[in-house]
Amino acid sequence: MTEIRDVLKPAFINFDLQATDKLAAISELASTFVSKGVVTNESVYVKAVMKREEESTTGIGFGVAIPHGKSAAVTEPSLAFGRSQAGIQYDSMDGKPVHLMFLIAVPETSNDEHLRILSKLSRKLMHEDVRQKLMTVTNIEEIYQIFE
Amino acid sequence: MKIVGITSCSTGIAHTYMAAENLEIAAKKRNIEIKVETQGSIGAENVLTEQEIADADAVIIAASTSVNKDRFNGKRLLEVDVTEAIDHPDDLFDRAPNAAIYTTSADVKSEAKAEKSGIYSHLMTGVSYMIPFVVAGGICIALAFAFGGINAKGELASAINELGGIAMGLMWPILGGYVAFSIADRPGLVPGMVAGMIASSMNAGFLGALLGGFLAGYTVHFLKKVLKLPPAFSGLLPVLILPVISVLFVGLVMKFIVGIPITALNEGITNWLNSLSGMNSVLLGLLLGGMMAIDLAGPIGKAAYFFGVASLTNLGVGETSMVMAAVMVSGMVPPLAMALSSTVLGKNLYSKEEREAGKSAWVLGLSFISEGAIPFAAADPIRVLASVTVGSAITGALSMIFKCGIAVPHGGFFVFLIPGAVENVLLYVLALAIGTAVSGFLVTAVKVFSQKKQTAKE
Repeated sequence: MTEIRDVLKPAFINFDLQATDKLAAISELASTFVSKGVVTNESVYVKAVMKREEESTTGIGFGVAIPHGKSAAVTEPSLAFGRSQAGIQYDSMDGKPVHLMFLIAVPETSNDEHLRILSKLSRKLMHEDVRQKLMTVTNIEEIYQIFE
Repeated sequence: MKIVGITSCSTGIAHTYMAAENLEIAAKKRNIEIKVETQGSIGAENVLTEQEIADADAVIIAASTSVNKDRFNGKRLLEVDVTEAIDHPDDLFDRAPNAAIYTTSADVKSEAKAEKSGIYSHLMTGVSYMIPFVVAGGICIALAFAFGGINAKGELASAINELGGIAMGLMWPILGGYVAFSIADRPGLVPGMVAGMIASSMNAGFLGALLGGFLAGYTVHFLKKVLKLPPAFSGLLPVLILPVISVLFVGLVMKFIVGIPITALNEGITNWLNSLSGMNSVLLGLLLGGMMAIDLAGPIGKAAYFFGVASLTNLGVGETSMVMAAVMVSGMVPPLAMALSSTVLGKNLYSKEEREAGKSAWVLGLSFISEGAIPFAAADPIRVLASVTVGSAITGALSMIFKCGIAVPHGGFFVFLIPGAVENVLLYVLALAIGTAVSGFLVTAVKVFSQKKQTAKE
């Protein structure tokens, strides 16, 4: 049984993003994928993410963004979480800066188990109590608890 | 209420599910029963059954991909972008029950409509928020006439009259505001409402308010794209910077660029009308009647109305004005004609919301509140305005031919009831009935014809 911890690995969690703009923030999180080898080519992957952003912003409001890219440079479906207290300039639907960012990486072909986890996570993000918890959690285990 | 929905997005990983969840959350809050099918990269999940579709009152499709709609033949179907379900799901539940009925044979039409649907859906959002204001305001004014006579005399009547005026006056900011809201979300509301108020204060009518709403919406939409601030300040964007800049820009454009031709138009028409004194009275009635309907209390209608009011100033005791009579009775035609068409002649041509507005349009028409036709005109301007103008012009001319006259500038049907207030009152009613019937049949026929033409094209 695949679980959230199989896609959101501890290495992909960053409680204090340094970047203040969209591209830098996405790159900052994407580099964690590269460090574990789930993304083989950072620039190809980031390009796929930014192309998706051009279609329409993934800054869905309430300070949350879920940039995502599907690319052959991805070897297994993965999820990274980044938090920024200062806020990231993101061109969100409600014009406000982003504090919680989930970066999703999906290979061209992947099994449904992983995708199902991502879909469940997306649904959870719509709930205000979940977002509030994410703003205040301090360790990785707590994040897993929120999504389980 | 039962709703079924489908969500889908281009990558099918995140938005599909966020939209579904948000629709479910919003539905729960409103006690709406909902089932949402997600069409993501996992494939379709939570698939809608035939029975569920049959039982549903409306269908919401929130997708940025093309979703097969064959299953929804004959259902009220609202199609929006997937982001709308994430951003303002609540609004969709207001719009879905009034959405157009989907028919499979209309596939070609819906494609051609896709380009238009953006602007059209903004328009309809504005209109649907505006309707209750027109209805509440209009009915209050009519009640005030009923209690206090045509001058709304007495404390209660004058209070109700004032309430009606306030509710009615709010229709312009609401129309402008919610058109802009539909285009640019929440930041559009402020400049849109301001533009609507300006349109109202310079007598630019509903076309002015619509124009202001679109101007405000697209201005904010553009500002949101180009304004980039350092993150420390970006929190100020929605609360300070966008509202101030958009209000300044839209407000000044409305006042100085849109306003100048409108003011010139107002003055020009008034001067022109004054130069017509001595014109054949039947032609004058035809002209004034048409003017009363052509922009529904906009600059042209207002000019005709004040021309009528001016004709009252030199009246001696017991005298009546034929000009005023023609103006008032023809101003009653548009709402009555739309009421006739939407509640009697062509019910299925209109949405549920419009049919409800049609019922109150009877009362508004009888009270000489031409604004009662605005919801219909805003939704389908050319066909509606052309049709009601023909009937109003005929009524205006007939009123002159029948030598009808009145000595008061308002009151509608309530004046008819006062013995001796209307010269040739029975013929006056006949003039009204003829114009209403002509416009009512005309607008119904034009709408049927345009629907047939759409179907034939396919």
